[in-house]
Amino acid sequence: MKVFPYIKAVSQISIQEPLTDVWMESPHWYDANFVRSIDPDFKPFVPAAQGRRMGKLLKRALTTSLSVIRESGIACPDAIMMGTGLGCIESTERFLESLCRDGEQLLKPTHFMQSTHNTVASLIGIQTGNTGYNITYSHKGISVDCALHDALVQFKLGMIGSALVGGNDEVSPSYFTLLKKIGFVGQDSEVCGEASVAMMLSNEQENALCQVKGVKVLYRPDVCRLQSALSQMLSEADTSLGGIDAVMTGISGNRLNDKYYYDLLPELLPGVPVLHYKHIFGESYSASGLGVYATVRCLQHGFIPQSLVLEQPTCSVPAPNRILLLNIADGKDYSFILLEKICGK
Amino acid sequence: MEELILNLKKEIIDVLNLEDVKPEDIDNDAPLFGEGLGLDSIDALELIVLMEKNYGIKLQDAAKGKEIFKSLNTMADYIAKNRKK
Amino acid sequence: MSEPILISGAGIVSAIGVGKEPTLKSLLSQSSGIGDVKYLQTAHDEFPVGEVKLSDGEMMSMLGLPQDSTQIRTSLMGMIALKEALQEAGINSDLIGSTGFISGTTVGGMDKSEQYYLDFLDNDRHNEYIATHDCGACTEMIADHFGRFAWLSTISTACSSAANAIVAAANLIKAGEADIVVAGGCECLSKFHLNGFNSLMILDTAPCRPFDATRRGLNLGEGAAYMVLESAASVKRRGIVPLASLWGYGNACDAFHQTASSPDGTGAYKAMAKALEMGGVVPSGIDYINAHGTGTENNDLSESQAIIRLFGDCVPPISSTKSFTGHTTSASGAIEAVICILALQHQFLPVNLNWKEPMENGIKPVTDMKSPRPINMALCNSFGFGGNDTSLLLSRV
Repeated sequence: MKVFPYIKAVSQISIQEPLTDVWMESPHWYDANFVRSIDPDFKPFVPAAQGRRMGKLLKRALTTSLSVIRESGIACPDAIMMGTGLGCIESTERFLESLCRDGEQLLKPTHFMQSTHNTVASLIGIQTGNTGYNITYSHKGISVDCALHDALVQFKLGMIGSALVGGNDEVSPSYFTLLKKIGFVGQDSEVCGEASVAMMLSNEQENALCQVKGVKVLYRPDVCRLQSALSQMLSEADTSLGGIDAVMTGISGNRLNDKYYYDLLPELLPGVPVLHYKHIFGESYSASGLGVYATVRCLQHGFIPQSLVLEQPTCSVPAPNRILLLNIADGKDYSFILLEKICGK
Repeated sequence: MEELILNLKKEIIDVLNLEDVKPEDIDNDAPLFGEGLGLDSIDALELIVLMEKNYGIKLQDAAKGKEIFKSLNTMADYIAKNRKK
Repeated sequence: MSEPILISGAGIVSAIGVGKEPTLKSLLSQSSGIGDVKYLQTAHDEFPVGEVKLSDGEMMSMLGLPQDSTQIRTSLMGMIALKEALQEAGINSDLIGSTGFISGTTVGGMDKSEQYYLDFLDNDRHNEYIATHDCGACTEMIADHFGRFAWLSTISTACSSAANAIVAAANLIKAGEADIVVAGGCECLSKFHLNGFNSLMILDTAPCRPFDATRRGLNLGEGAAYMVLESAASVKRRGIVPLASLWGYGNACDAFHQTASSPDGTGAYKAMAKALEMGGVVPSGIDYINAHGTGTENNDLSESQAIIRLFGDCVPPISSTKSFTGHTTSASGAIEAVICILALQHQFLPVNLNWKEPMENGIKPVTDMKSPRPINMALCNSFGFGGNDTSLLLSRV
């Protein structure tokens, strides 16, 4: 039986205005290689007494998660599935630096406790009293994609009827420096940002924003494997290449990684309009979650903001029905995510 | 002793990130854990680190913390008797 | 109940042996791998640890890697365990192209990060290890040693990481997304987590005594284990004799505290109950439980409550093999699942070493290897920080 979940709510905290869709009309533009997230007022989501031990990442994660819980009215989803490339890296760095500089003594338990990658997902479980399935994926730039894939599989198996899926990554100035050193982020015109995204999935269509019709993850694939994985995913979704109105890519301005997209796109998706989101939301290990967020908004509102269209010649995409997300991380990990607008909307 | 208590309050507020709490808000006899300040087991571990760092007191058994951290007065008493710096 | 998933190969590396044969031997001779720290460079020599008895260089030699290659200890142990699993299941380089790989880890490349972090910040001498720090990099390094897997994924739920990798793999096979998925986990000892657990004051300075009244904490261990999970149709098609089957599994969140388990073991109870329910097995049908049993005051009491609540009058033989291996954290779910497979195959109960005095309100672990009845169903518990609790139900074939 084919069961494709619906997305009922999405929320983001990023380098754009937090918790709103203002970016669709007037995005912030940045001329720097590294920008930190714009934080909202956390008080309505994280009371001071509870938040005193939480770093920024935990506060952001709790805020985006609670906002989709409130918006969707699904207080206790069957599963909490999170992605993060680095976890609470600031806590990790503080523990690590203290260990390296001051030796193996007087180390702070709070920093250690928050250094594990599952801190975010388990904290959301603790704060919302959710004892359901709880998982954290930590696989570089496809961490969120893996979490979404897990959700899709469990909807298909009938194991869950709702799921909170998200991605959270923070980047400290010191860690940005390290990642830049090895060419991972902040290269060429790329903006390194931070990302906290949450989405609520449900098998009920009422008030849904769009539907998830497929997720595929591949490792070091050649074009042949990509083509067959894509056509399989499209046929499972009862559509074909011609049914894709646009491809939302993770092209970021990092020439080395962008080359993988530019080499692949003409062969894999000839003639399909190409969209970008990382020049607006920045690059990070959870950036693909922001790509999903932006795509959901496009399908929900029935238009693609001009700011997402950079490719020449500009193809106009009136009221998209179906958008494919293509994510290539470090030229190794690939993913497809297919989102479809709600019929009759 | 009063100076120790005041310093201790400042140190606790700082190390446990008690943003909205001022030294004068902490009752010297009120329980630090559960009600009162509402601290938990991780806070107790942080207080153990604080005692070692600032007063040179090394606590080997976490369970002992329960008695020492009953209130600010008991903690200050213990520090006054056992401090190495 | 849906069709169970078959296990067509398994590999294991821990303090009690490199490979299944030596591991079995240690379990049967009841010899623990926990001892004084030798390979990890740490000031904390007061804590016994369960180290894999090989240096990084020795592991590189075993794997045919040049001594100067950029490697992290977690990946090296992972490669050795994965190699054994793939060989046993007959996964050759052709088949790898259609096989998925899910690895659980938390520490990743921390052994090198803690060695070179100040260099990362101050100079460019060891930049190659910046890229090996994260969990995903660890998985890719292991995978790349064997060719080109169809896809990779990494799960990080602290001490239940490997168990959750196995759960995710099974779901993918059930959903028809893959025929063969290799899953498990790996974790090396590091100063980072030895000091982390020390800051939580839950390390014992003596060999750990799970479920004993005098228990004082855990001993950290290290290792890796993977199993090849396969659909029944694929096993039949390939003509492979499976080792065991994954009969059921459950993942639940304790939703209580970031480091402590709830007093009544809510998450543990739910995880075990879900596994039994999926497998269609009643509590009296379980012949052995490999407990999470870390040896801390909190875990063993909480886990005992959950087991007593679920099993009532028919509590099966239980042991914590962490008394042999130490707590292998992210790898523990897979290491202990492979130990369960050995128990099912060779019909013995792995004992709980160092147990003497019953704890109040606790379960009494087994100290005799002889089982009163055939061992057909084994339950394997793994609980992580934050209450990420997972239970695997393994069955004899």
